[in-house]
Amino acid sequence: MTDAVVTGAAVISAYGRGTEALLAGLLSGRPAFAPVQRFDVSARRVRTAATMPESPDLGTELTGAIREACDEAGLSQADRARSPLFLAVHGDPAIARAPQAGQPGLGAEAFTAAVAGRAGLAEQGFRCYMSACVAASTAVADAAAMIRRGHADRVVVAGGYLVESDQFALFDAGRALADDGQVRPFSAGRRGLLLGDGVGAVVIESGRLARRHSSPPLARMAGWGRSGDAYHPCQPHPEGHGMARAVTAALRRAGVAAADLGYINAHGSGTGHSDPAETNALRLALGDAVAAVPVSSTKSLHGQALEASGVLELIVTLLAIRKGMLPVNAGFLGADDGCRLSLVLGEALATTAEFAMSLNAAFGGANTALVIGVP
Amino acid sequence: MTSPASVTADDLAALHAAAAAAGLTVTSSASWPQTDADREVTPLAGFIESNFSPLIAEVAERALRRREPIQPQATTAIVMVTNLGDVTSATRVAAAVDAGRRVSPLLFFQSVPNSIAGYLAARWRLTGPVVCVSGTKAGLEAAALLIDDGDTDEALIVRVEVAVTDGGGRDHAAAVLVTGPTNQEGP
Repeated sequence: MTDAVVTGAAVISAYGRGTEALLAGLLSGRPAFAPVQRFDVSARRVRTAATMPESPDLGTELTGAIREACDEAGLSQADRARSPLFLAVHGDPAIARAPQAGQPGLGAEAFTAAVAGRAGLAEQGFRCYMSACVAASTAVADAAAMIRRGHADRVVVAGGYLVESDQFALFDAGRALADDGQVRPFSAGRRGLLLGDGVGAVVIESGRLARRHSSPPLARMAGWGRSGDAYHPCQPHPEGHGMARAVTAALRRAGVAAADLGYINAHGSGTGHSDPAETNALRLALGDAVAAVPVSSTKSLHGQALEASGVLELIVTLLAIRKGMLPVNAGFLGADDGCRLSLVLGEALATTAEFAMSLNAAFGGANTALVIGVP
Repeated sequence: MTSPASVTADDLAALHAAAAAAGLTVTSSASWPQTDADREVTPLAGFIESNFSPLIAEVAERALRRREPIQPQATTAIVMVTNLGDVTSATRVAAAVDAGRRVSPLLFFQSVPNSIAGYLAARWRLTGPVVCVSGTKAGLEAAALLIDDGDTDEALIVRVEVAVTDGGGRDHAAAVLVTGPTNQEGP
């Protein structure tokens, strides 16, 4: 079986365009949340999110990020035309306001085909993943598994969510948003999540293809795991059984012991139920080793990017271990007995970690774990 | 209007063909509408205004009720396939937002396809991954990969589209349970 490696990455977040802006923002430890200017929030209970200036267009930003990631990977036009796109989005952003007669012509397939076409990627073999906050991480896991098993040489995975009025209204109505304007994962006094812009793209290739490039890969996709809780439509299993299975599967595939994990970028939504469930999952899967692994949820800095979370946070994890600096778990007020983890608090933590994990969870009890290694 | 039988046949034929192409064995299947008696989708407590989630539940449970018993520890993934998604709910939310009206909290919980998958997973102890993709071929290939990769033993694939036009078109869905080739019974 061949290695799957990341050879290109591009990102847009509330910290600005590009990986350097994101890394600088993360390491500043200053959350990117601010009053929403992009649309009218006067009727909302909460009026805060992490957004870029103005109203960028999702399709345009996805296309730009994909091109930039492909440029970094050194892909020719011919290489791109042979590479399928796995795209993680909520759906076609135009469909909800299209005239009824036009709706059947829209949809996820047409949107994904259009993005792939504009980015010069393959016209066949594209997929759109729409499974909420594990959409992008599932797409990354599938891409890595296909490459490891020889079903593909290269897949471009992209995900995008730009804060907009409809999801904002839904999360507000569901009382999921933090009414104190901060996300406080694993902390006493946490009050919920806040949405954030995120568009990310990664090129995942076989080790054989990557060796043809002059520069070394950015990271190795060492392991991955996906699981379900079988517990509730929207709440996680309180004991974290499902997520623990995803973590265990990812470590087993990576051939990495729990003690060798140098960082966990947690799902850490900052909500009441989810953080203790994730803590229990990590304690179950990692055993005593959990006490020594630094953990942070960078949703406390860049916000919750929904379907794009998996690729945004994979890039965050990759940037952190390449830099040797782990971003803080911001917003922390004090310990919660249900969330005993070795959180990165106060300031970024220097590391020589060779392996790191990015965790995601979603409604429906869906869980994913991705393990990356420095090449 | 298209007859129930032809809609059903198209959905099921597409799932069976994609399963065969992905090297998977279909162990159970179901569809909606299946007969002329399938006129209104049975409502589901907690899910409102849209047939999307109730339709997934109906067709999935038909397929699950028909399957042979499996090992208690076996894992089952849920792979939903939809191009338009829950366009009914999305349209309602957009209209409410544009009119400055309040959005029902229940629409938050059904705003992603994962919620109905979680409902099914809890009722039927389906502990495999939850996935939603846009195309039938992609759905069956994703299921085959999950089985090959060892993250699940079998997969429940549900293909669903709700009607978007008043009067014309019709909600339709189909489901198959699939296993990998190694789980096939011998001749």
